[in-house]
Amino acid sequence: MSADSTNGIDVFFNAKNVAIYGASATPNSVGQAILQNFIKPQYTGKVYAVNPKYDQVLGVPCYPSLQDIPSPVDMVIVAVPARIAPRVFEDIAKKGTGAAIVISGGFSEIGPKGEELEDEIVRIGEENHIRIIGPNCVGVVDTNTHIDTFFLPEFRCARPKASNVANISLVSQSGAFAAAISDWTAELGLGISKIISLGNKCDVDDDDLLRYLAEDPTTQVICFYTEGYDPGKGRTFFKHAKMVTPDKPVLVVKSGRGERAKAAASSHTGSLAGSDNIADAAYRQAGIIRPDNFEQMFDMAKALSMQPPARGDRVLMITNGGGLGVMTTDALEALELAIPHPSSELRNRLRERLPAYCAIGNPVDVVGDSDSSRYDTVFEEALRTQEYDIVLVGMLMQTPSLGMDITNVIANHQRASDVPFVVVSMGGGFTIKAGEIMELMGVPTYDTGERAALAAKALAEYGEVKYGESFKKTVNNS
Amino acid sequence: MKSAKKIFEEAREEGRSFVLEHEAKDIMSSYGIPIPEYDTAATVDEAVKKASKIGYPVVLKILSKDVLHKSDAGGVKINLKSDDEVREAFDEIMKNAKEYGKKNDTEVDLSRGVFISQFAEMGTEVIVGVTHDPQFGHALMFGLGGIFVEVLKDVTFRLIPLSQTDAREMIGEIKASKILEGVRGQKPRDVDALVDVIMSVSKMVDENPEIRELDCNPTFVYEKGKGALVVDARILIDDEENASH
Repeated sequence: MSADSTNGIDVFFNAKNVAIYGASATPNSVGQAILQNFIKPQYTGKVYAVNPKYDQVLGVPCYPSLQDIPSPVDMVIVAVPARIAPRVFEDIAKKGTGAAIVISGGFSEIGPKGEELEDEIVRIGEENHIRIIGPNCVGVVDTNTHIDTFFLPEFRCARPKASNVANISLVSQSGAFAAAISDWTAELGLGISKIISLGNKCDVDDDDLLRYLAEDPTTQVICFYTEGYDPGKGRTFFKHAKMVTPDKPVLVVKSGRGERAKAAASSHTGSLAGSDNIADAAYRQAGIIRPDNFEQMFDMAKALSMQPPARGDRVLMITNGGGLGVMTTDALEALELAIPHPSSELRNRLRERLPAYCAIGNPVDVVGDSDSSRYDTVFEEALRTQEYDIVLVGMLMQTPSLGMDITNVIANHQRASDVPFVVVSMGGGFTIKAGEIMELMGVPTYDTGERAALAAKALAEYGEVKYGESFKKTVNNS
Repeated sequence: MKSAKKIFEEAREEGRSFVLEHEAKDIMSSYGIPIPEYDTAATVDEAVKKASKIGYPVVLKILSKDVLHKSDAGGVKINLKSDDEVREAFDEIMKNAKEYGKKNDTEVDLSRGVFISQFAEMGTEVIVGVTHDPQFGHALMFGLGGIFVEVLKDVTFRLIPLSQTDAREMIGEIKASKILEGVRGQKPRDVDALVDVIMSVSKMVDENPEIRELDCNPTFVYEKGKGALVVDARILIDDEENASH
């Protein structure tokens, strides 16, 4: 791919005139589900149906071919059987459209016969400057422009929303995961900008989207799910990522901890190198964060999208419950974050200003009868001495004395200091509400100490990537 | 000295996917990688002459396009302290190689004779290696030698080319790294020399992508200020001319 291979990617998210090839009047069909997405009021562009069988589908004018559509078309969604895809691509080429998402399966994933068809559409695409996403994918969801090619009905697969605070974009090789994550992140209320399923990656691939999303102002954190790369493509991804990670966090969940490379090796080194060790090394060198699973990825991505990266690894834990404090600091320690005791200066100041029965250490335990003013005091003093790089707040809402105003206190100190904050708040309905309010104010909130600790770890890990040598690392893990 | 490209070309012409030990060491020397003094000898008399020039004790190894795993062929004799011992070792290596050939139904080419090397003083054993991953390309491996690699698989990887920081991180992040800092009254090892070896290997492979796999095993690291030596080196190359990076 040439250096400007992200050219032509933007239209996949901003198309104003979309044609759906294979639009169908059959209820519950793929061709109908996709069309339905584009006649929702949120989508403000124009949509056309293409199918020789109909004059209109769901009230949308339907044409036998793209040539018959009286206006230009800037993106085509292809939902026709694989065997007629080459003919569809001839039509796309004639129309002069530069972008196609091929939803249909039946291409290289099924064997040589499908591979031939795929090669054919790639050839037509290359000759006519058509960028292709897919085939064998669910395509794209953009929560800002409401381009939505997922053929999954919304009542089964909810779509996430863009947040005013910060947004994550996800690129997934697997369509099923893309759909599940759409549904799941919608439920979690996470701010999402784009979800892209790449399928067979016959043209547009991880590299293209990495570079596009790096420049995308609506994406604050880039997440990938991949099962592996084509030969040499791991290397190019590494090279691009190295340039992106100083400016934007990149997270990759990679499955397929393959052992094949081992079997083929004839040197000692080769026999010790599972492909996964090397993927690990590559990600690390490129500044990519590699969570173990999706839950970790979104816990980390949420923190990274909402909070600034940490400038060092020293965490202050403050809590109104001793048990939560101990559990969380255990988790912090296991993740190799520093939990230093307050300096004597800070200790003395806190001693003067807090009731005598509060435990002053790390964690600082403001105890169960605390209201928000004790938190306020601790934040004020601890941020003034600049001895901590991350603040982890235990906020147990079950106590009668702690009011919702705690969320204001936390958000205000975070904004004023620009030190990253993470909140842990365990509990039921009332707690969940408090957490939602906290996140609307821009501070990520988790329901267990372990998850909050992992979020803190992500902020430190990315801080190390971003600030390099000037990142203040106090834990020596060797 | 022949250039690396020339060495690879000759190896391919002979149908070898590995380069001979003295060639591997020639290439490595040209990248400033420290290696015990070495030479080659086609005949027993030449072997004796060169051994005494290098200075005893020495190591003799079979040098043949038909033998990759030299120990398996009885082709390695170490700690030879005199002319007589070299003479005896040379003959024995040739005899063993012939037998090894018979066992494997091939004629082992003996015309190149042996590789002679200074017998390096024992240091802390480490391994520096290179492998080629189909997805990510060349990666460098580092670990402590012996049981640490064999049993515990205590190794770490980075893609080539590496930065100095990468090299230092690698040395620091293996589980047994404390051994290099000096434990149980031992002096700290020469980590700077080890970083130099790693950086030179990285540069060498970056500039010669035909190298498919490589082992510097063992590499001895001596106490701080006394350097490191790559004692045994093996380089495997791509069969094809069109080596991918």
